[in-house]
Amino acid sequence: MKKLIIARRVSQASFLLLFIYVLWSTTYPLKGLIHPEMLFKTDPLIMIMTSIAERALIAGTILSVSMLILTIILGRFFCGWICPLGTMIDAGGAFGKIKRENDRLNDKIHPVKLYVLAAILIFAVFGRQEAWLLDPIVLMARFISLVLIPFVTSNITFIFELLIRKFGSQGAIGDLYHSLQSSVLGIKVTYFAHSWLILSIFAAILAVTALMKRLWCRGLCPLGALYSFAARFSMLRRVVDISAKGGTGKAPCRMGAIKDDSSYKKSECILCMDCVYSYPPHLTRFSWPLFRHPEENQRPDEGSILDSSAASRPQNDAGGGISRKKFLFVLLTPLLLSGFKFNERKEIGKPEGQGHGPKPEGIIRPPAALNEDDFLNRCVRCGNCMKVCPTNGLQPLSPETGYASMWTPELVPETGYCEYKCTLCGNTCPTGAIKRVTQAEKLSIKLGTASIDRSICIAWAGNKECIVCEEHCPIYEKAIKLKEEVVGGVRIFRPSIDEALCVGCGICQNKCPTRPVRAVRVSPRNSYRP
Amino acid sequence: MATKKLTRKNFLKMCLAGLAGLALGGKFLKDAAAAATSSGFNGRPNKGIKGDYDLVVAKGLDPYISTVKAVTGLGGMSRFVKKNDVVLIKPNIGWDRSPEQAANTNPQVVAALIDMSFQAGAKRVNVFDVTCNDAKRTYDNSGIRAIAKEKGANVYFADDWNTVPMKLSYDSPMNEWPILKDAIECDTFINVPILKHHSLAGLTISMKNLMGICGGDRGRIHNGIGRKLADLTDFINPELTVVDAYRVLLRHGPVGGSLDDVKRLDTIIAGTDPVLADAYAAKLMDTDPMSLSCIKEAVARGFGSADIDKANILNIA
Repeated sequence: MKKLIIARRVSQASFLLLFIYVLWSTTYPLKGLIHPEMLFKTDPLIMIMTSIAERALIAGTILSVSMLILTIILGRFFCGWICPLGTMIDAGGAFGKIKRENDRLNDKIHPVKLYVLAAILIFAVFGRQEAWLLDPIVLMARFISLVLIPFVTSNITFIFELLIRKFGSQGAIGDLYHSLQSSVLGIKVTYFAHSWLILSIFAAILAVTALMKRLWCRGLCPLGALYSFAARFSMLRRVVDISAKGGTGKAPCRMGAIKDDSSYKKSECILCMDCVYSYPPHLTRFSWPLFRHPEENQRPDEGSILDSSAASRPQNDAGGGISRKKFLFVLLTPLLLSGFKFNERKEIGKPEGQGHGPKPEGIIRPPAALNEDDFLNRCVRCGNCMKVCPTNGLQPLSPETGYASMWTPELVPETGYCEYKCTLCGNTCPTGAIKRVTQAEKLSIKLGTASIDRSICIAWAGNKECIVCEEHCPIYEKAIKLKEEVVGGVRIFRPSIDEALCVGCGICQNKCPTRPVRAVRVSPRNSYRP
Repeated sequence: MATKKLTRKNFLKMCLAGLAGLALGGKFLKDAAAAATSSGFNGRPNKGIKGDYDLVVAKGLDPYISTVKAVTGLGGMSRFVKKNDVVLIKPNIGWDRSPEQAANTNPQVVAALIDMSFQAGAKRVNVFDVTCNDAKRTYDNSGIRAIAKEKGANVYFADDWNTVPMKLSYDSPMNEWPILKDAIECDTFINVPILKHHSLAGLTISMKNLMGICGGDRGRIHNGIGRKLADLTDFINPELTVVDAYRVLLRHGPVGGSLDDVKRLDTIIAGTDPVLADAYAAKLMDTDPMSLSCIKEAVARGFGSADIDKANILNIA
């Protein structure tokens, strides 16, 4: 009975399911058991780096620091027992065998993630939050919210559509479908732009497991790097007795944490408990040396009992520090990268509508999104706002608009407008990139301003009845005014925008019947950006 | 793992299997499509059920009681709903507004109709609408979902993909328009609009309320709306029309939002002729019925009357 491994697997599966449940319930009316922002408030990389970049203590940072404190006590339990991406990587790599690796290879792989972390930290110090790019929680949440859940729900819906077309909607199948729809399936929120790219990146992370188990966690993950720092002080330790039954090899390790001499790198151990069972010649267990039984210290073969505290410190890995050359390299890399202007923010989201490039009219941000600089610093691209948006209007920006704004939310009125009384996006934002507002405040928050293209408007250019935009305008005084005119004996109403009243919600653009281009369009002009 | 070699035989097998799968799937879809497109009139024929009066107008402070009185005055719900009937109650649930803001049908009116339908022996009472705002919010905030569920009705989000192309026996701009199948395939259609202002139609009453069973890009119906609504009413032939004029929206319709625009009329109108019911409702709003293009069109075509003076109307206070 591999009790410890079973316990770990149960823990991994439970947390993965919990993670999916929390994101699944990130939808109107947002009444899940756990608030979706908690997934990120417990992520120290996101919270600390965003706080540093924003020069502000973001609510929840303390909570995430408690995860680091737990790591000091237990080691990297998060990576092995909780991290949903780690669980997916383990599941993906379950079919391969652990290859025998030697210290030389692992010593090269392990520190890479520290450079990644260092680069993120340096960017943060210079006021740029770049933790979003490689944070595992964000990668996982984005995949689940924008790819997995829409895929599952739209496929279930499709199957029901076929069945209902065949058997009618008034039987048991129709009833089941309609009750699922109002409980767990939800309606409408199924489309996200370029979700194939999000899927591809996620698949690539799983695929590198074929080269080496947990390669992502060993070598790249910046959250893992942060936890590996704290784990160096971990009180829970692996103790191995190598002389009990002989044996010249070493236990296989999915993290490459076990060294050739069977001691281990505490900072790389994720407590997966494999080595307790996988190499019988060595007696391995995890214990608290502070409370060690006095007898143990007096055993005659003490020399063969390896304890991390003695063996792992003076190595050239995380514990040993880095050379001056490498330090300079780490320091210079972000600066050199900046030289490419890869995270240039000049051209994007210009509210005045004077930008150029792929979106010259600018980007319509969610209601009460902070000013563009702070917004980009705080936004971790987790996808909560897009998942929760009831009209499916919030879409991830494509890489087309540049790295700096990639996957940040944009309101696309063609796919969905901003529901006038809804405040869900701000309510689910874990870092406050979208300000949290009350419903009363929301009603006057401007996302932009609509304007009417009279050259294609049905009433202006076609002299026909329409008024669809005016009818849908949610402002009770109507931000779209109608002017009655008689053209050729026909009475028509021609719309115009009252810019002072317009909040730029985009319902007019969403419902406008002209195709392919809508006659009424919203631009981020005069938007409110706190 | 033993991998199967891709020989010519295997390749052909794979192709055949793929083709068979495609053919089966295609047949399935084709059957479904064929069932949906038969020729000739495919709407709901007029059953010709008449009430004891042409219209019953009930006034009172409680919309539930007024509705019961109005329908009872017509001759009772059992005249429209037979045992084991599937009943569709079609309120206006278009907007993310509360009942007080008078943009959606009063939930109490819907509740009364559900209760009466079940008492008359209905097997199933469906309640849905194709909404303008987000359906989840409108169903909740209109108060209709909660009360209809409580009363045992089958309240669900309209399947706007499950449609049938409309076909009238005459030429119509609405021909081929996608209409919700569930709205056509019911034994009794009860249309329950709210009376309110509308900038294009003048007022939106029962004929305009039928836009809520249309799929597709509904904005396009607005061009030549009078003719289209008349044809749509001729296609659906609701057995019973109950106009909710308990609270009415005087201005800034059809969405409203300000209580200043709302007026209490405390009136429920029930009738079998949707045109007459609309005409009476228009009068309540001091509007000449013939100024509403859909009423004018329906009267000209001769399938309804707007002559309130000649109608046999029962007033219940």
